[in-house]
This record gives sequence, C-alpha cells and structure tokens, in this order.
Amino acid sequence: MTTLDALRDATSVEAIKSDLLRTAYENEGSFLHRLDPRVLLLWYVVFLFVPWLFYDMTVLLGLLAFVSVLAVLSRVSLFLVGLMAFTVVTTLGSYAVVTVFTGDPVAAVRALIPYTLKLTIISVSSLAVFSSMGPKTLSQGLRSLGIPRQFTFLITYGYRMLPVLFEEYHDLVNSFRLRSTAPDSPGRFRWRHYAYLLKLSVRAFYPMIFNVAKRSRVTVEAMEARGFSHSLNDEASTELRLADMQIRPIDVGFFVGSLLVVAALAFFF
Amino acid sequence: MMTTTHNSQIDVEQLQFRYPGADEAVLTGTDLTIEPGEFVAIIGGNGSGKTTLCKSFNGIIPHFYEGDVQGQVTVAGHEVSESSVAELSQHVGYVFQEFDNQLVSPTVFEEVAFAPMNYGHEDYRERVHRTLDLLDLGGLEDRFVWELSGGQKHLVALAAALSLDPAILVVDEPAAQLDPVNARETYDRLAMLNETHGKTVVTIEHQTEFIAEYCDSVVLVEDGIVSWKLPVEAALNRLEDLRGQDVHPPQVTRIAECVLDDARPLPVTLSDGLDLFTDYGSNTGARTDGSSKVNRTGKPVISFNNISHSYDTLRSGTKDVIDTLSLNIYPDERVVLAGSNGAGKSTLMQLVTGLETPDEGTVTVGGTDTEDVLPEQLAEEVVYVKQNPEEMFIDDSVRADVAHYLDDRDYPNVEQRVDEVIEFLDLENLQSRDGRLLSVGQQRRASLAIGLATNPSIILLDEPTGSLDLGSREEVSRTINRAGERVETVVIATHDLELAASWATRIVVLDDGDIIADGPPSDVFADLASLKQANLRPPQVVRLGTELGLTPAPLTVEAFTDRLNTASPSTETAKSPVEEQ
Repeated sequence: MTTLDALRDATSVEAIKSDLLRTAYENEGSFLHRLDPRVLLLWYVVFLFVPWLFYDMTVLLGLLAFVSVLAVLSRVSLFLVGLMAFTVVTTLGSYAVVTVFTGDPVAAVRALIPYTLKLTIISVSSLAVFSSMGPKTLSQGLRSLGIPRQFTFLITYGYRMLPVLFEEYHDLVNSFRLRSTAPDSPGRFRWRHYAYLLKLSVRAFYPMIFNVAKRSRVTVEAMEARGFSHSLNDEASTELRLADMQIRPIDVGFFVGSLLVVAALAFFF
Repeated sequence: MMTTTHNSQIDVEQLQFRYPGADEAVLTGTDLTIEPGEFVAIIGGNGSGKTTLCKSFNGIIPHFYEGDVQGQVTVAGHEVSESSVAELSQHVGYVFQEFDNQLVSPTVFEEVAFAPMNYGHEDYRERVHRTLDLLDLGGLEDRFVWELSGGQKHLVALAAALSLDPAILVVDEPAAQLDPVNARETYDRLAMLNETHGKTVVTIEHQTEFIAEYCDSVVLVEDGIVSWKLPVEAALNRLEDLRGQDVHPPQVTRIAECVLDDARPLPVTLSDGLDLFTDYGSNTGARTDGSSKVNRTGKPVISFNNISHSYDTLRSGTKDVIDTLSLNIYPDERVVLAGSNGAGKSTLMQLVTGLETPDEGTVTVGGTDTEDVLPEQLAEEVVYVKQNPEEMFIDDSVRADVAHYLDDRDYPNVEQRVDEVIEFLDLENLQSRDGRLLSVGQQRRASLAIGLATNPSIILLDEPTGSLDLGSREEVSRTINRAGERVETVVIATHDLELAASWATRIVVLDDGDIIADGPPSDVFADLASLKQANLRPPQVVRLGTELGLTPAPLTVEAFTDRLNTASPSTETAKSPVEEQ
C-alpha cells in the first residue's frame, strides 16, 4: 500500500503542478540554459534530422543515450518523462494488438522499434532543449530568427498564465467535486473513483475557458496602455530585447561537440 | 530623477461616448478639468460611467473601443482623438481595477521593464530599479508575480504604470481589492508621488474614509455626466448626493449627522470628529452592550486540533500558512475569522471542506475526521462560498448552477427546491443568465444561492463583501443575515471589520497562521495591540469611541449615536444588530 500511496502523492495535482512549473522556470542552473537560444534552436533543427540518417540500432541507441544525458543535465520534469515513456510503450503495444489480426505481432513490433526509437530521440531532445530554455530566452531566440513579436510574446505570456491556469483549473475541479456525488463503492483499484475524477477534470475545462476569455480583455487593454503595439514597429525596442544575446565559444563548442559525437557514433559502429 | 511635467492638465469638454453595440451612451456630455498636481477622487455608482471617463485620459476610449464619440479631451496638451494610446501612455499611467490581469510578465523585473522596453528606452534597467525603489519594492525583482501577495501585486502594477514616469496616474478602485492595511499603503505611496513628485493622481474610489484622508477634491459622476467637482470637505457633506450614488459617507460624518442639529459643516476625518465630539464623550456613562455573553451550547461542530499546514513555492521555499493552531467552533455561533491577506483564513476554510488535509493535527467536522471521508461527503454538511464567485459557476446559467448539486444527487422535487432558493435570494430575474456575466454583487448573491441549495448546516463565506460598492455590500449583508436563519453555523473570513462589528458574535483574529485574539467583538476591538499586530484597523466608529474614552467602544454608527444620546432615554430605539442577540 505504501508504494501506491507514494505513487498517489507523486501524481497528485499539487505535485504535478510544481513539477511542471519547475520545468518551465527553474532551469537557470542547467547546462543547456547557459547556451545562446539561437544555437540551441539550430542544434534542435539538426537533431530533428540526424536520427533519420541512421538505420543501425547501436547508433540509434547511442544517440538516445547522448540526448538522454543532455535531458538529465537540463533537469527534465519526471512527469513529462513518465508521460513520454507511457506513450512509447502503449504505442508499441497498440501495434502488437493491431498486428495480431494481420500476422505476426512480434515481427511487426520488432520492425517498428527503430522507427519508434527515432521518434523517441527527437522527443527527448525536444524535452532537453525546451526545458532548459526559460520563456524569455525562448522568445528571444525565436524573435532573432525573424518570428513576429506577436507570437513570441504569446510564449512569455503563456508561461506567465500557466500557474494561474493551473490554479484556476484546480479550483474548478474542486468546485465540481463539492457539488457532485462520488461513486458509492470505489471499485477494484478504485477505478470508479478515478473514472469519476477524470470525468470532472474534463468538464472543468469548459468554465475555465470562459473565465480566461472574460479576463483577457483587461490584459489586452493593459498591454496597449504600456506600448505593446508601439513596440511592434519600433526598431530600438527590438534591438533592446535582443541586446544581451551573444554567441560565445561554449556555444560553438557545444554545437561542434554534438556533431562530433554523431560522427563518432556513425564511424565506430 | 522623476520630474514634474508642468503641462499635465486634463480637460474634458462635452464628452459623449457610446460603446459599440450598446443602446445607450455611457457618457452623455461630460465636462471636467483636473489641474496639474491635484489628488482627485472620482465617485459614482456602478455603471455611472466613471471608469469610461478615466479611460478617455489615455485614449483607450475612443481608440481601443471604437464607439460613438463626441466632444473633446485634452491631456497634457495632446488632443486625445488625434493621439495614439502609445503616445498618451507616456503621460498617463493606468492601474486597472482587476490588476491581477494586468500583469503580463512572469517576473517583477520583466513586468516593470515591459513598458520601457516597448518604447525602446535603453536605460530600462535603471528605470526599473528607480521605480521599484521609489515604491519600496527593491528586492522583489526576481520574484514570480503569481507568488506575490495581493498588496504586492497591486504595487507592482503601480510600478509598471510608473515606469515611463508619467505626470498623471489613474488608479481604479485601489481599496476594493486590497485589505485595509494594504490599501492604506497604496494610498500612502500615491500621496508621496503626489506631494514629493508633483504627479497628478486620479483614483476611482468609493471608500470615503480614504477620500477624506488623502484626496484634495472629489468628482461625482452621475448617469454619464459630472454633477460636481468640489473640495473634499464640501463634497463629503453632500450626503444626499453621495447616498443617491450608493456611496457611504465616512462613519464620523454619519454620526455627526445624527447628533448635530445646527448648520455647521460635518466633520469628514477622524481627527475632525475627535475635536467635535470631545465634549460629548465626557458626559456619557459607561454602559455595557450586553454582547459579551458567549452562549456556547453542546459540542463543537468544527474543531481544529494542533494543525499545521504549509505549501511549496518555486523560489521562496516552503511557506508555513498555519502553525500548530487549535480552535473549536460551536453551533449557532456567528464567527468571523479576521486577518490580513495571507494570514491563513482561506486555508482554514479549505481544511474544513476536506479539499486540503492538514500536514499535522486533525480537523473534525461534526465529529468526523476530514481525513477519513471524501470532500464530496463532507459537502453534505459544509458549504464553502469562495472569495471569487466565478470559480463557483460551472454551468451556463445561474439556475443550472443552483440545481447542479441536487440533480447530481438525485434529490426528489429538485425544481421546487431550486425555485425556493432562487426566490429566497431574489434571483428570479437572473436565473437564466450566465453567472460569469453578472455584476459582482449579483455574482455573490448567486454564489450564496448555490451554497444554500445544498441545505448545509455549516456555511463558510470567504470575503463576502470584497470589491463591492455600498449598495451591493448592504445587499450581501442582508443576504448573509437571511442565510443565517437557515443554517446552524456561519463562518466568515474577512478583513472587513465593519461587517464583523455589525454581524459577528465571535471574532477570531489570525496573524501569520496563529490565533492572537478570540472573543466577542467588543472585547476584540478593545484589544488594539492584537489588531495592530494582525494589520487590522477597527472601524472608524470604534477608533473614535476608543479615542473618546468610551468603554466598551460602540461598534456601529447606530450604537454610537445611541450612546451620545443616553441623556434622553427615548432615543434608544435604534439598536445595533449585535444588541439584538
């Protein structure tokens, strides 16, 4: 029972909330955080392609090990890793279930493992890159690559709203709970109880969206009153925003080093 | 450093405005002049057009809302209709009433730097630090805005509005959303900006005690026009005009109104009141209010036993909200949990609902340990009406919201019971509307109806009078009294001590998660040291009574005038609600 309790504690709304917030904001100590966002984004684009160049399982596993090390260094949220592991396993499982009807499920899964592995490498590198960038660096990076400010601002604003939305959503789920009936008997493994909570969690989205929509009017007025539209066409403002970005030897070193790792994997295996 | 722009006059001439899609104009030919360096309060009832008027100063009206506009507004030499919001915003800083939604950046530094960076000011770092220092907020730079207290958030919103060093500052309803101590702090800063830095300050306000103390003049907006602009003392003596717009005159003024029978101007501040009433104070004998009796019957319905509770923050570590607290609440008590924001009031209420369980200690409700049952089961006895009514609207009409609980539990004759509650709280006309779109006062009434529909024996109300004007406040107070008739135990968490004085039989003062005073209102209000420690201010009438040496100090205006008139016993008809116990 204690493991189940521990699992329940780890998956409580409160724990997931702080885990995700930590991922979004507390990345200052991580290795990748010290790099220039443009270099990181470029690195990411390269690593979107690299896995597709190889078919050899050893190389792919080596790549996975490499990006996993980076992910650990960027202190990726355990919740997100768990979610990813869950999808990888269930995807493979669903292949097996489907192919039972068409032929040999073991062979099918085996054939699909390299493909899934490639997707996993990309997912892990996404986790590593985007967990290590705070909202500010991410939008700076995108802005410097020519993405319009309307969009890059949305990212920072989204991050700012994240905890508020969590809070609001949690409160609404609680409002639902206080006015609903829990199932009389929780069932085996409390499945009825969890199914009931799941149903409430889905229903709570609807009022949340309305509340947020209502509130955003003030936000837009307030942004306007502090020169947001003005900044869109203001050269000086854009320069200020991008001023503290610079590419240093460590950035170049990281990028070249990563390519060397890939080259070494391809060459030795 | 911060300098005064001498050309910061506001001139409004025959301004008319109708919102796009609305049938009637909000402003119907308004004239107003605000001189540079004035500290002006704008008052008026809900929907009188005061916020619309203020939004014309920085061009949100008519540039953001493209409605029908006529007339002319000139701000700091700029013709508003000809200038952009961006241009005007350099002269006018604006703090919105819902200041929480105005904060758009994750950290305090980024929030205050938002405007200077938008305008491409290279010295934005100095501007941020200068502004934060000016408001005594140094050290908050790296904090996340959502982890700040309400008072800090408001000051950060103010700092963000000041970061461009505007000559004019508009603040919408600062006292409505903040507890009295934080509201005073905001007003102290505004007064400093006005006196030391020569800024023109315009506040929309309905708490006349603040107006009397801080403002130079008052503007009354009535049905879309400015009825008058008067110096503060003359303005607050226009009692009929004020009441016509649902604005409460200060308590001192109301007492003087009942006591004085000559044509002298009425006092508007506590110190004026003291000068006037000193003669009266000496000839009033001590008389007990008879409210010190505490009738506790039976077993406690709610009991907290040595509980502790804490939560985690990202950059500020673990915060203890409640630290080994014990408290018993008995049937038929009207309990007020008083304390400033963050004292632990809401947490105590959450613990009673079972949504949270204490880290240590136990909470029992009607003898049941909250840890042993689901919140859904406790909800049959306990109702928690939240501070923010929007969080209680989960359906698309008030009626559906009221019925939700009964429907879900398959109660017999749901329709009839819903009708009854809706009628009880006069919600017939609102029942088919979406709760989110009602006014704040109506929302509170609707949220109370949602609570009462479950037929609870305990009702918990979190800040029920927060951000309400006088009319809505009285409506809510009446509603609470009526709700009390149906429910065994009512607990209110509030920093509104005027409500506490007129309603409670017991006040529990919380500070930093500890109980520092507990007793009937007259005793608690006499304990000035504890109130001060908890950052609370007794109502003006209590302070006046205490200064005059009345023991126990009367708790309401009625009780006070009653006491002043003790010489003639025939006037003892007006009784305070406390005495009715």
